[in-house]
Amino acid sequence: MSDLEKDYRRRFDSVLRPLVPKIQRQLQEFFFNEPRIDRVTVRAKTIDRFLKKANTLIDGRLKYTEPLRQIQDQIGARVVTYYLSDLERVTKIALRYLRPIESKNIVPDSEWEFGYFGRHFIFIIPSDLLDPSADKEMIPEFFELQVKTLFQHAWSEADHDLGYKPEAPLSSDAKRRLAFTSAQAWGADLIFQGLFEEQSKKVAASKRDGDSVSRGAETN
Amino acid sequence: MRLGDVLPVEHIHTFLVHPGKGLAAAPQIGGTTVALQGKLFRLLENIYLNSDDECDIEISFNHDADGRQQNDCRDLITAYLQNPGLPRARTIAERLFKTTDKRSGLGLFFLIAGREGRNHKLVISRFPTDSAILAEEDERNLTVEFLERVFMKSATSYKAAVYQDSSLQAGFWLGKAVDKQINSRMIEVSNYWIFDFLASDFRLTAAHGTRRLGAALRNAARTSQDIGVKSELTAAVTLARGLGRRRISINEFIDHFGLSEAAAQDIRKQLTSPEIATEQFQFDLEEFKGQVGFRSVELSNGGILTADSGDFNEVFHREIIDDRTQEVKFSTTGRIVNEKLRKANE
Repeated sequence: MSDLEKDYRRRFDSVLRPLVPKIQRQLQEFFFNEPRIDRVTVRAKTIDRFLKKANTLIDGRLKYTEPLRQIQDQIGARVVTYYLSDLERVTKIALRYLRPIESKNIVPDSEWEFGYFGRHFIFIIPSDLLDPSADKEMIPEFFELQVKTLFQHAWSEADHDLGYKPEAPLSSDAKRRLAFTSAQAWGADLIFQGLFEEQSKKVAASKRDGDSVSRGAETN
Repeated sequence: MRLGDVLPVEHIHTFLVHPGKGLAAAPQIGGTTVALQGKLFRLLENIYLNSDDECDIEISFNHDADGRQQNDCRDLITAYLQNPGLPRARTIAERLFKTTDKRSGLGLFFLIAGREGRNHKLVISRFPTDSAILAEEDERNLTVEFLERVFMKSATSYKAAVYQDSSLQAGFWLGKAVDKQINSRMIEVSNYWIFDFLASDFRLTAAHGTRRLGAALRNAARTSQDIGVKSELTAAVTLARGLGRRRISINEFIDHFGLSEAAAQDIRKQLTSPEIATEQFQFDLEEFKGQVGFRSVELSNGGILTADSGDFNEVFHREIIDDRTQEVKFSTTGRIVNEKLRKANE
């Protein structure tokens, strides 16, 4: 077992795993009573996945020289909401309570491509969630929060499961099919957003009509 | 660590920084290296050693305008710590020059760098300029002299920040600052230190800090066994509406409203650690109302009175019937707009 694996295993058991339910509970409190929140999930990066990421090479050299510090999604959270317009609302709430050092809206590089979509933030872990008796060197400073629609979430889960297997890399045709499903998820989000806006307008109009009828009744 | 035991300070650079906000080009800023001995060194070493206690506002660097994990001030600080010489120190002084306006005036700026174990540590501090009178006496005479450009660790406008981390690459996002002007009426004058020069923000957001305070007050009022403590807490909640957007910590809130030791203990019991009570945040009235919006009084006869916590004393008039038995009478006048039934355990 490498020193890095030993260090991460120790951090995983003593700090990350106990932190997961605390972060989840706090995020759930922040989004309590908010409409159209499908789920709030939090996970600690598994030891295998951490080591795999730590060993990423770029031009034959390790991408991370200090993986325990540089890999910032050792704790990853995700808030899944229904429609595209909900992303902004959820983002505003997250930024109201948490301090970011990174805020990205990830979209494919070109308008002619389809792939991963999502909003990613690197937030400082709130101090009230940390165990004051824990070894400070063991505590990560940040966690990642992703905000996604249901379709973005579904696509990224399947993509992650299918697309990251070094023993069975995706063929060109398989990549094209994955991109096709991303385009379909993107389209589904647009259509649901359109339907949501139409329905919201109808509900608002019906409410206005109802109000004016009851005002009329009061006058009569 | 006792003063003089070890020499954790390795480099000190100082610059005379004029206000230069809005000026197109920065002039050559006069700077020098301070020798690691003598009276000035001992003063600065003392600031370095006490910086963790003195800098009581937890801050973090902002990301860049595109949301990327990059911050110009942090870049200058980590570059300086990689090679702590006068040229790289000057780049930080130039940044201070560009963010200081005329209202803040001339300042003497220090960079004090050292190592503590595996950590790099940097203390940056700004002494404002002042004028003073030097009085010297001998057996027969007293001579007085007016001094200009005296730089003092002013109790009302001194500013500093401390950063400590083992990694120059991945670390140095979090720091602590002190700004003696931060709660003054001249807040817009002092904002430049944390928000402009350090390109940072308070680590604890206004909403999050206020939420913690509100929850601690609410839970303390619910769990306290002492009716006097409950009254103190509800009175503090009512008065808190006058705090505006003041920077405050939970401990400062307790002091500000003169809460008793019992009430303070009941509030602190709600926190996960005593350090949480020292963290500063900007009070957010809307968030506070969301946390402790309603005040309820339950009477021995089974009656429960509830109103907006800020208006409770106006809505219900309280009259003491018998001081000895603590019997009171509440009265209110209004039009019935709604009636509710609720579950017994709600």
